[in-house]
Amino acid sequence: MTYLVTENRGCDAGRPGRNGRAAQAAGLVTRLQAMQRQINARNFAVLRTNGRGLPAARKLTCVLHNWGTSCEEIARDLIDHYGEELLQHLDHSLLPVLWDGKGEHQTAETSDFGPFTRRLKDRKLPYSGIALPIRLGAQGNGYVVFAGSYIDASGEQIVELHGRSAQIMTDLLTFDEKRPLKAEALSDREISCLQMAGDGHISEEIAEKMGLSVHTVNAYLGAATTKLDSVNRIQAIAKAIRLGYIS
Amino acid sequence: MASGTGLGNGLAVLTEYVGATHYLLARHDVSQDGGLDFVVCSDWPFDIVRRLSGIIAGLNSKTTELEKCRAQLQPVFHAMPDDIGLPRGVSRSYCAVTFSIGPTRFSLMLLFPEDVILSQDALRDVAVLAGYVASHKIKADVRHDRECELTERELECLFWIAEGKTSDEIAVILGISRNTINNYITSVMRKTATRTRSEAIAHAVRNNLV
Repeated sequence: MTYLVTENRGCDAGRPGRNGRAAQAAGLVTRLQAMQRQINARNFAVLRTNGRGLPAARKLTCVLHNWGTSCEEIARDLIDHYGEELLQHLDHSLLPVLWDGKGEHQTAETSDFGPFTRRLKDRKLPYSGIALPIRLGAQGNGYVVFAGSYIDASGEQIVELHGRSAQIMTDLLTFDEKRPLKAEALSDREISCLQMAGDGHISEEIAEKMGLSVHTVNAYLGAATTKLDSVNRIQAIAKAIRLGYIS
Repeated sequence: MASGTGLGNGLAVLTEYVGATHYLLARHDVSQDGGLDFVVCSDWPFDIVRRLSGIIAGLNSKTTELEKCRAQLQPVFHAMPDDIGLPRGVSRSYCAVTFSIGPTRFSLMLLFPEDVILSQDALRDVAVLAGYVASHKIKADVRHDRECELTERELECLFWIAEGKTSDEIAVILGISRNTINNYITSVMRKTATRTRSEAIAHAVRNNLV
């Protein structure tokens, strides 16, 4: 059985309905399961970082997995033991991470690729695993994890899985950042005003450049703030950049 | 450009493996106006490299942050401007693929022979491998970017402002005075050379600081 962990995030207005999302998740799961079989792993999990750049608040969250009902425990176990190390690794390296499990035969090996992997110390978990770091930027940072008892992957397999894992994360990012529905979509004027505000212009300057009154500019910015479900102009600018309305 | 011969060797092997002729690894966090510091290592003909800064800056400015995220590890082909002279037999289009190590984005750019079609899958594999090689070799100097000059407190303030909090609210959240918060923000604006709070936040979001 597979579970999609729904995240409670504020900024994704207009995400597809339940069914659309379930269907998308199912597609990803099929791909992940095919990948998992290639290296003889039993389970997969997709971990994403949240808390954005704020160092103190950053943590990994499991967003997609096939660990079944006991997932919460398993995910917490993994994140408790190796979460901090994984986060630090993600900050400076793309090398795959391997670890051995507690059991005697629970090892993750790669015969020909040792120098290009990082091994986590101690046998802390009841399974061995390989975690592929993915760093797309914005909300697309994290790991695709494959867990099992005896995993032996060649360099070629790891590289291929890594590329495909990055594609999975890219697709997740695309689902999440769907633009708001048409009715709430921003108008061209609103977008230009936001862009200029984000470039450091004050309302008076924007008004002058666009040949409008300051009140009109403020009204556009206010409307954009409402549509972006933000409490003020600054939050609206931050969201507009994340959603790709402005650059 | 001389930084790391090991890196150069590794990239040369990958270039050959995928069927290309020349490699260039560029980093996006270093300013491309003037100077060639953004080129990490390359065996491209030098007169082309000199023209590159303009080309890369142009490519960057056209896309939004989200598009940049989605474009990672997706090889794209671009046409070289007509007035650039290429070595004989080299195709006028080149391949570029980006990957990130930590907060730093890199582009691997490859020249290849005219009559060769590069496989997308092989290019992606090569980009992943280039990421591995680069993780090994440039680990140490990744932290030099100017963003890291912002202190943890300043980043914390930026984070809350981007969430729409006012100075008063942040003062309550962090348990420090409003004036201190405003000082942090002024200091952020000075460090990032931004004029308004909005621009400072925009800068932070663009650079994945919050």
